[in-house]
Amino acid sequence: MERRLTAELWDKMHYLFRDFNDRMVHVELNYDFIPDIEALKTVIICAFEKAPVLHSKFVDTKLSTHWEVKPYDIDDVFSVAYPENVQDAVDEFLTQYIAPNADIQMKIALFIKDGKSTLCMVENHMCMDGGDLKYFLQAFCENYSKYVADGISPVEFRTGSRSYDDVYSGFSKTEAGVAQRLFKNINAKDNHKFPLTPNNIRDKSFIARKKFSEETFAKLKAKGKELGATINELLLASYFYSVYELAGYPKTDKVMISNAIDLRRHMDNVEDKGFTNHTSWMQCAIPERGRDIFETIQYVVRSSNKFKKDKFMGLYGLPLLNFGYNILPHAASEEIIKIGYSNPLMAMSNIGLLKGSDFALAGHEPTDAFMSGAVKYKPFVLLTATTYRNVITLSMCVRGNEEDKKIVNDFFSLMEKNINTIIG
Amino acid sequence: MKNFIEYIETSCAGLKDNHMAYLYKKKILDEMTDRANEMTHAGLKDEKVLADLIASEYPDLKGNFAKFEKEERKRRLSKLLKVVLPIGGLIFFVLMFVAYFSISNATKAWDKTWLIIVGGIFAMIIFYTSFGIKKLCHMRRIFHPIARVLIAGCVMIFTVFVFLFWLIMIPELVFWPILPGGIILALVCDLVFAFATRQKFRTISLFVYMPIMATMLYIILAAYNVISWLTGWPIILLGLVADLIFILSIVVGNMKYFMYKQEVED
Repeated sequence: MERRLTAELWDKMHYLFRDFNDRMVHVELNYDFIPDIEALKTVIICAFEKAPVLHSKFVDTKLSTHWEVKPYDIDDVFSVAYPENVQDAVDEFLTQYIAPNADIQMKIALFIKDGKSTLCMVENHMCMDGGDLKYFLQAFCENYSKYVADGISPVEFRTGSRSYDDVYSGFSKTEAGVAQRLFKNINAKDNHKFPLTPNNIRDKSFIARKKFSEETFAKLKAKGKELGATINELLLASYFYSVYELAGYPKTDKVMISNAIDLRRHMDNVEDKGFTNHTSWMQCAIPERGRDIFETIQYVVRSSNKFKKDKFMGLYGLPLLNFGYNILPHAASEEIIKIGYSNPLMAMSNIGLLKGSDFALAGHEPTDAFMSGAVKYKPFVLLTATTYRNVITLSMCVRGNEEDKKIVNDFFSLMEKNINTIIG
Repeated sequence: MKNFIEYIETSCAGLKDNHMAYLYKKKILDEMTDRANEMTHAGLKDEKVLADLIASEYPDLKGNFAKFEKEERKRRLSKLLKVVLPIGGLIFFVLMFVAYFSISNATKAWDKTWLIIVGGIFAMIIFYTSFGIKKLCHMRRIFHPIARVLIAGCVMIFTVFVFLFWLIMIPELVFWPILPGGIILALVCDLVFAFATRQKFRTISLFVYMPIMATMLYIILAAYNVISWLTGWPIILLGLVADLIFILSIVVGNMKYFMYKQEVED
């Protein structure tokens, strides 16, 4: 009998984002050994069975939506390759697109060369966000290690509800009641764009990256303490300042960059929850560029403090979205929601610290680790930050051309310059 | 297979060894075998992992037995009903005609006894429709509006019978207000269904229905001279007042949420 899963609010929202990005989340883990391929296959199957949404097809009947669980073959999910140029193979793999109506929603590849390996994953953001993917990877690696070392069956993956309203679970009854009535749409629009070239049918997806050394991370941390700012705020300030410089916005312009926030902060326990999305935007706006980067930092800190003081940070508009999806047939709800929703033109997602021990396969910690968000369609951009072994990796996934690649790299150079100014 | 049987036997230890327990264990074994086939097809080769993975999907076999027993009884009843209902319907139909001819012959009131046929047919329609409504209630929400229409239909059929009965048996009394009474009953039943099954727009239904019900009440009371047609119309306004009270009660109920002030930590 056909097995169906409910299409949750965030599944539908990310489906709606099809006009703005390719909805793929990317992971790259580099190891200095070659994992046991058969064991990896076993762990992947167990993970897929525990999270059936990963082998489901998203069905949109226009009236309603749901997931249809599909049979699969591990060889369609997991591939092993021995490329000459690993980085090219990795980039090609990571920039692939999985359609929502495909039978599987996650693909994994292992690239092997010279006794080293690179484990890559691409998954549909409709299934889970970066926060849960981080947990998924952690559980994946832990299960693999226990299976290889002690023969313990790799079945310890979280299962449970994927519903958006789990975000209210950490509140008292009154607070939850208040949060469930936050119908206000705080989605402000800002027309400042990242200066990419116009769209072209020849555009191809690419991932641009920039690493900041351990030393830079340490200095940023120290400087943050001194200025009363978090590393995220320093990166955001640098993003603002660099984009002013790159795009040549007038210094007096008010600019807005949306910052992804993990709504799990509001939940008391995520252990009994399934893999899903619980990410919203916090809109960080600065009134002007500021005389120097330090003034920009002050503006960013002020703006983000305003949000941090709000107990219901990130929860505004969720009841409205839920109401929108509930009252009308799916196709009509999408049209209505599109009227009120404006996708941020510039955004940042700090996935945070990736701990080596969390991603160790049979005792081998990754030599490098990296995660990034979806490939955005111009003019939208998303800057993703991950930190591994005190090295910050900034990445931007764009569907563009060589000129866009150059623009993004110029932006990274400006980021570097501004971060160097911050740390002195 | 052997692993699954052992797991089922161990997990179900303590259950009475009767036919129901056998059916339960058999069902679980079939499901586990199907899942094992699916996973093997997906490429899972390690037998131990396969067994553990499937076992993890059935963490409380013993606890779920009561649920299975209940469902199984329901399934058997529904199977029985499939046989009983058509036969019962046929018997009822025959008995209805027997009753009609016997009573008509005995009383010679042929102008009234046709109500037995009409009443019997209406009763059968309502009885069989109720099974349809029950089935629709267990289906996806998209089918629930059909159930609501059917409920209203059943109420109106019942009303029509009462109307005919009244018309034939007590013609000296005003009978037509039965119909607006039926409308009130249909709306009340719809509201009960909407609130009991948490339908979308149930409060909006309540807002809309209250003035309609008040209007019908005005017609009924005026028809029976309880109130005057000329001066009784404020009853209609009572529906709007009830709406207003309902809105106010919602607002008051939600006030604590809208008045909530966050404690700001500096």
